[in-house]
Amino acid sequence: MSVADSAHASSGLRAVKALCEESDFKVGDRVRIAMRFPIGHYRVPTYVRGKQGVVKMILNPMAINNEEEGYGRNAGIKGRYYRVGILLSELWPGYTGPPQDQLVIEVFETWLERI
Amino acid sequence: MNHSEDLLKRLPNDIGGLPSDRVQQTDHELLPWEKRCHALADVLDFHKIINTEEKRRGVESLGSEMMSNLTYYERWIAAFSLILFEKQILTPDELAQKMAEVEARYAHDSHKDS
Amino acid sequence: MEAHDHDHHPMLTDEVMPGYYEIMEIAVRELLIEKTLINPSEIRRQIEVLDSRTPALGAKVVARAWVDPGFRARLLANGRTACEELGISFYDDTQLIVLENTDKVHNLIVCTLCSCYPRSVLGLPPDWYKAKPYRARVVKEPRAVLEEFGTHIPDDVEICVSDSTAMIRYLVLPQRPAGTDDLSEEQLAALVTRDAMIGVVRVEI
Repeated sequence: MSVADSAHASSGLRAVKALCEESDFKVGDRVRIAMRFPIGHYRVPTYVRGKQGVVKMILNPMAINNEEEGYGRNAGIKGRYYRVGILLSELWPGYTGPPQDQLVIEVFETWLERI
Repeated sequence: MNHSEDLLKRLPNDIGGLPSDRVQQTDHELLPWEKRCHALADVLDFHKIINTEEKRRGVESLGSEMMSNLTYYERWIAAFSLILFEKQILTPDELAQKMAEVEARYAHDSHKDS
Repeated sequence: MEAHDHDHHPMLTDEVMPGYYEIMEIAVRELLIEKTLINPSEIRRQIEVLDSRTPALGAKVVARAWVDPGFRARLLANGRTACEELGISFYDDTQLIVLENTDKVHNLIVCTLCSCYPRSVLGLPPDWYKAKPYRARVVKEPRAVLEEFGTHIPDDVEICVSDSTAMIRYLVLPQRPAGTDDLSEEQLAALVTRDAMIGVVRVEI
């Protein structure tokens, strides 16, 4: 096939994305923050662990997992952070404020479980 | 979770949701050395000698007693020193000697003043 | 460093002599400079950077967003690049998300794990932002904490607390107060306080 022929065959043209180009979660996905207890360093506070929420935003670009960065890893495998919304009534049983009040927090993808 | 586990599992800075007092709307102008300490933190991060995340980890690993008794920038400079030892950039003895030298310099200067 | 009140206090050297941690700061800095790992001009320059970052920058951003719908849209789409349009650089690799307060949502920011703060546009955070009471309580009882700042949010307005824990910094875009139609952009900026951009108070005339 000549160059000209292949240029004409554009109807089926599609750039396949690499695995890392697609985010694991989409906006609106329901997720649970993992119930897990890393020691030494973490950026997922205890009060959100095991709680359910909704992905509100996918944060780009990808970044080093800050649990690793905390030990001096300035390069290597990267992943995505997501802004996850969690209702205050989910976080704090007995919350007396309006039911729509919420907290939003950035969570690294390895901490998110699909529900 | 028992108490001895909790000491390791819950970092001393992880305080979201814990009972606490009324918010007192306090503030202060940074002292010159505090501002220098902040600038040092930024420069160390620019060079990735100590990145921001390592600084956070270093402060946490001071433990809850130091976290609650040292001021904000006291925690930072203590953490930097310990991280620089870990990274073999400084040695404890080197820092001790330099601190003695700095102290002697100031003692000398203040003697001249009076 | 100058000594004051030279003759009335026996603890004169305590006033002149830097404290233990200040001596440590001087020693660490001098050792790193001797090893040519950092340069003294970098520290001086970064102090100038810190001194130049004040809530007046954030106020300028807010006022521009109030008067220029195109800028407001760009600011909400990408806080960092919109601030850069106004000459406000970001001296680290953090992104900025601007959270718009409306009749339906009231945003406020906190960092429960340390003291993350939009330093590029607001300068360094106030002490209360770094202290335990605000960090511990605002994620659990935001309405009570807001009342302590004199801010009452009606129940039909959603509270949205953003806990800033990783690579993003947040700036609250407060609501423009009523009765300010005749004010210039500069006059509007003068109304915008640091605390309004953290989200603990409203902008008042």
